[in-house]
Amino acid sequence: LRLMYTATAMQSKNVGASGPEKYTEAFIKKQIEEYNLGKRHLANMMGEDPETFTQEDIDRAIAYLFPSGLFDKQARPMMKHPTEIFPEQRKIQWGEDGRPFHFLFYTGKQSYYSLMHETYEKLLNVQKYQDQLTAQDHLPQKEKRNLAGSRWLTKIELEEMLLEKLSDDEYSRFIQLLQKLMMLPCGDIEEKYIQKFSKEVPVQLQKVVIEPLKYDERGVAFSTGEGTRKTARATAVVYDNGTGKITVNGIDVLHYFPVLQDREQLLFPFQFLDRVGKHDMVCTVSGGGRSAQAGAIRLASAKALRSFVTEKEVEFMRQAGLLTFDPRVKERKKPGQEGARRKFTWKKR
Amino acid sequence: RLSQVRGSRYNPSFLEPEVNKELYQKPWEELSEEEREKLEVKAVRPIKAAPPTVSSSVFSDPMISKFTNMMMKDGNKVLARSLMAQTLEAIKRKQLEKYHKAPEDEKETIECNPYIIFHQALKNCQPIIGLSSITKGGKTYQVPVPLKDNRKRFLAMKWLITECRENKNRRMLMPEKLSQELLQAFNNEGPIIKKKHVLHKMAEANRAYAHFRWW
Repeated sequence: LRLMYTATAMQSKNVGASGPEKYTEAFIKKQIEEYNLGKRHLANMMGEDPETFTQEDIDRAIAYLFPSGLFDKQARPMMKHPTEIFPEQRKIQWGEDGRPFHFLFYTGKQSYYSLMHETYEKLLNVQKYQDQLTAQDHLPQKEKRNLAGSRWLTKIELEEMLLEKLSDDEYSRFIQLLQKLMMLPCGDIEEKYIQKFSKEVPVQLQKVVIEPLKYDERGVAFSTGEGTRKTARATAVVYDNGTGKITVNGIDVLHYFPVLQDREQLLFPFQFLDRVGKHDMVCTVSGGGRSAQAGAIRLASAKALRSFVTEKEVEFMRQAGLLTFDPRVKERKKPGQEGARRKFTWKKR
Repeated sequence: RLSQVRGSRYNPSFLEPEVNKELYQKPWEELSEEEREKLEVKAVRPIKAAPPTVSSSVFSDPMISKFTNMMMKDGNKVLARSLMAQTLEAIKRKQLEKYHKAPEDEKETIECNPYIIFHQALKNCQPIIGLSSITKGGKTYQVPVPLKDNRKRFLAMKWLITECRENKNRRMLMPEKLSQELLQAFNNEGPIIKKKHVLHKMAEANRAYAHFRWW
């Protein structure tokens, strides 16, 4: 079935794998020289020091000198290093007599198969070393490595590295081989080789900045949060030292949300943190339906409560799903079908 | 194997949220090895948003929400929820009536908590073994097959709801009929338990074809 979730990276073509190079090396070198020269000229024009002119300064200068109202960022005038603009491409893989350089050229995916051969060679080496150690009874005990901090390269990253298109099957085979290599007790020897194919994953919590509490005229601490769900937009202001009163768009919560489920959702963040009667809340919400508005206010209040609570509890809230934006929206209707999924009644004739 | 998700708006790396408060209050030392690994993985990966039907309060129960969703017609969740609430109230009332009428020594055996009655009744209704139609050599045989937990729960709930919708008098309302059926199921009697026994007997009768199963 077709994917609903597609990252923008998946939609871009793998230019490196499409064919042999369209730009010669000499051309790229000339482009790099021109770029460096142009960078110094630009620095002189802007009155800055040519030696310490960074890429961000270049972007700002270009945006100032050539203002553009075009929507697509890729269509605006840009000045970047040639390696970013001209993507890496495979060099021509055969010499003047027509003979290919690499011995696996006729497999079609020479870099992928040579990589598999290399990795398997390392595996055999490790197994030989292990057998030697078992013969001498020096086998070290395998300590369980922390898998949570690192991830393997994604298929797209591997394709960019090899400059070749891969299928899902081939990618999974490569990852299985790497995992097998890592699982062996003496796999630490090939640590460097494995690190080429793994990436660090930072802890999720560090990505979000928690704002400090603000104080209003009466000296009561408060904080604001915004939330959205489907088409509803909500802003919530949570005050400290309260009695648990909630006001929505100037109306009391019992009158605005007659359904029990919506009120349960509003109280969910407070109930999760055991602070049901301690905070007052004033929110404004617009758009969406009954349940969407409740979900939007829930997200807004959870975000506002982050400032009142310790970091550990913020992590607990995140793991309970209170702080994630819900991306589910109404699916569009397609032509040739009656709805998003429902097809027209099938008639035999 | 890398298989793309069947059309979820979330990235496949998102994990399910865990709403139960008690699990978060356990200190680090009490957790077993698997739970510690799970926690570490959770710390790194993004997590999906909690659905609107789920909440951390004592009143939200996943089984009851599932049953309410199955009772719902045309997306009318408000009506389904109110029917469920009325059913639980009716069960409580009937049990309290029985409690007050019973003599002293029997008072302890009467169960008044409607949630416990609901769960126990569902458990009693679940079939252990089911039939699946397998075509072999042109003929279709009914082969006895062990059922998964999800399938058992689904069958029990489906039988309850269809029973209440069809076999009732014109004037009787859904909550009353449902509470009656649940109490009967709790005591291992009633039409749904009979249906379960019939299914078991059919499976027993078709024992000869059990070797047709290949999974």
